[in-house]
Amino acid sequence: MPKAKYENSLDRHYLLKNIPTPPFGDVKARHIVSYDEYVGNGGYQGLRKTLTMTPNEIIGEVKQSSLRGRGGAGFPAGVKWSFLPPIKLADGTEVGDEHAGKDVPVEGRYLAVNADESEPGTFKDRLLMECDPHALLEGIAICCYACRLSKAYIFIRGEYHHQAHVLEKALKEAYEQGIFGDKGIIGSGENTAGPRFRVDCYVHRGAGAYICGEETGLLEAIEGKRGWPRTKPPFPAIKGLFGKPTIINNVETLCHIPDIINHGAAWFCELGVESSVGGPPSFGTKLMGVSGHVERPGVYECELGIPLRTLVDEFCGGMRNGKKFKGAIAGGVSMGVLGPDQFDAELDFDIGRKYNVLGLGTACPTVFDEDTDMVAVCRNISRFFKHESCGQCTPCREGSGWLYQLLCKIESGDGRTKDLDLALEIATSMGTMPGTTICGLADGNNWATRTIMSKYREEFEARVKPTYVPVAMTVGASAKG
Amino acid sequence: MAWITKPSATEKIERRGEAYLTDAMRTSITDDFIPRFETTMACILPALHMIQHEYGWIPKQAMEEIARHLEVAPADVFDTATFYEEYWLKPKGKCLISVCRSIACEVCGQQEITDAVREKLGIEVSETTDDGKFTLVELECLGACGGAPAILVGETLHEKVTPEQVVEIIDRVEREIDAGGGH
Ligand SMILES: Cc1cc2nc3c(=O)[nH]c(=O)nc-3n(C[C@H](O)[C@H](O)[C@H](O)COP(=O)(O)O)c2cc1C
Ligand code: SF4
Ligand code: FES
Repeated sequence: MPKAKYENSLDRHYLLKNIPTPPFGDVKARHIVSYDEYVGNGGYQGLRKTLTMTPNEIIGEVKQSSLRGRGGAGFPAGVKWSFLPPIKLADGTEVGDEHAGKDVPVEGRYLAVNADESEPGTFKDRLLMECDPHALLEGIAICCYACRLSKAYIFIRGEYHHQAHVLEKALKEAYEQGIFGDKGIIGSGENTAGPRFRVDCYVHRGAGAYICGEETGLLEAIEGKRGWPRTKPPFPAIKGLFGKPTIINNVETLCHIPDIINHGAAWFCELGVESSVGGPPSFGTKLMGVSGHVERPGVYECELGIPLRTLVDEFCGGMRNGKKFKGAIAGGVSMGVLGPDQFDAELDFDIGRKYNVLGLGTACPTVFDEDTDMVAVCRNISRFFKHESCGQCTPCREGSGWLYQLLCKIESGDGRTKDLDLALEIATSMGTMPGTTICGLADGNNWATRTIMSKYREEFEARVKPTYVPVAMTVGASAKG
Repeated sequence: MAWITKPSATEKIERRGEAYLTDAMRTSITDDFIPRFETTMACILPALHMIQHEYGWIPKQAMEEIARHLEVAPADVFDTATFYEEYWLKPKGKCLISVCRSIACEVCGQQEITDAVREKLGIEVSETTDDGKFTLVELECLGACGGAPAILVGETLHEKVTPEQVVEIIDRVEREIDAGGGH
C-alpha cells in the first residue's frame, strides 16, 4: 500500500545495496564492485527477466512504478519511453509485441545517459558510477531492450576522470560477458526463443560545461558541437541525437530500473509517498547528497518524502557544531532555497508547490547554519549562472551578467535600496516569460535569486544604503536623487 | 563565456614539422571512435581530449590536423574547442590545480584553500608559475560537495582539504615533477 505520509520503512538499501553507507554499512568498506561480485549479489537478474517479457510489458511495468526522473525535472520515465515512435518494417508494418523474439533490425535509435552531474550541490551519480558501475550498465541494457535502442552513450562530465575509467573497465567486462556487443544481450538470446539483440554502449567524456547537462545541450555535445541547447519541440524522443529518436535519462533513474523489474512496480510504490497536493506521486527511494554545515555530509539513500530535518538529524548527525539551521538549497542551486522556517519541508516532488521553491531538483540539499552570509550565497550562485550561461538567449546571457554585478555591489556595501528592486526585477524577468529563453538555466537563475532575496530580505536591506527619494520640491534647494 | 575577437586574417599559426596527431592517435580515432557515431564530427571531443592528454594543451595546428583527419571544416573544430572550458588553447603548467568555488565549497572554507595555493606558489588564479610547473584555476562544482572544500590536482580529487594539506600536496607533486614523472 502506498503511504500518504513519510514513515521510514527502509530496512536495507536498494540503489546503494553494494555501496556501504550508514545506517546499513560503513563507508570505509566501499570498493569498486566487479562483474563477478555484482552477479553474485543477484546482479543482471533484472535483465534476464526482461528477456522473458515483451517490450510493452517492460515499459508498462516502469510506467506503473511511477518512477520519476532523478536528473532534475522529475518526468515519469515510463511515459518518456512510450513517446518513441514505433519501428516500421520494410513492408510498412509497425513492430509490436508479436515481434518480441523475432529479428528486427534496429538502427539509429539512441539512449543518451546523462552523467554530466554539474549542478552545484549534487554529487550522487558520482557514487553510483564510482562504486557500482554494473548497476548502471544493467539499467542501460534493460532500457535499450525495452525501447529497442541500438546504441547507448554515457555522457560523463570531464572532471570525473576516475569514474570514467571505472566505467570503461566495467564496460569491457560487460562486453566480454555478452551484455553488449555482438554476443548480444546475455549471449545470443539464450533466454528467448528469438535471435540476439545487439546493443552497443560507449563512454563519452565531456569537457567542462554545465550546460551539457541540459538534455539537448548534451545531444549537441555528443555530436561534437558546442553544447547549445535546442529549441523544443521537436522533442528528443522524436528527433534527438543525429536527428534520430533518442531517450535521455539520468544515471540514478536508470539504476532504479533493474530493481523495479526484479521486485515489480507494486514493491516500488510501497516506498516513498503519495502526493499530498493531488499531484503525481513520489514513489521509491532517492539518493540524497547532503553538503554544507552538517556533521556528516554524504550521500544517503532515503525514501522520498523524508523531512529535511529528519535527514539532517538522523542521517547526517545534526547541524555542525550544534549550530542553528538557517536555510538550505533544496536540490541543486537552480531550485532556490528553503528558508529558516522550512526546516521541516518534506523532500518529495511536491516540494515546489508547497514551499515556494522550483522543485525537488536532484534532492541534494546544501545546508547553511546561522553564521552564513546569505548575500554572499546569492552572489556565489549568480556568478555560477553568469559563468555557465551558454550565451544563446539575450535575457539569460545579459541578465545573468548584470545580476552578478549588482550582487557584487550589494555584497560590498555599495548598493542602494533601489538596487535590490532592480536585482529582483532582472531575476524575475529572466526565464519567467515562457519562450524567452531556450532552456531552463535562466529559470534556475531566476528562482535561486528570487527565493534568496525574498526569504532573507532583511539581510539584504541591512547591506545597502537607502535610496534618497525626493519627497517634495523645495524652492531653491535641489533634491538628491 | 567570453567572446574574444581578434583580426583573424592576420593571425599567424605557429607550426612545427612533426604532426601533433600521431599515427597511434589516427588509428585510434579511425578504428575506435568513427564507427561509434553517425557523423565524424562527433569524434571532435574525443580527439581534442587525446591531444590535450598528450601535450597538456591544444595547439592550433593540432586542430587543423583533427579537422583534416575527420574531414570536417577547421572552423568546426575551433568552434567546439573554444566552447569547452576544459580545453586549453594556450600552454598550461605541468600540473593543473583546480579549486572548486561553488556554493558548498565556498561556505566550507574554499577561500582559504585558494589563498593557500596562491601564497605557496606566488601566483593568482588562472596564472602559471614561472617554472611552468603549476597552473591555478577556480572551477565550478566538482561534484564532490560532500567533501567540501574539494580540489582537483591533475586528475586526482582531494576532499575536505585544509590549507596545510594543500601545501603538502603541492610539495609532493613538485617532487614528482622534479623526479621526471609527469602529472
Ligand atoms: C541547465 C540544466 C542543467 C541540467 N543538468 C543536468 C545534469 O547535470 N544531470 C542530469 O541528469 N540532468 C540535468 N538536467 C536535466 C536534464 O535536462 C533532463 O531533464 C534529465 O537528464 C532527464 O533525465 P531523467 O528524466 O532521468 O531525470 C539539467 C537541466 C537543465 C535545464
Ligand atoms: S537559457 Fe541561457 S543557458 Fe539556456 S540556452 Fe538560453 S542562453 Fe543558453
Ligand atoms: S560545490 Fe564544491 S564540489 Fe560541489
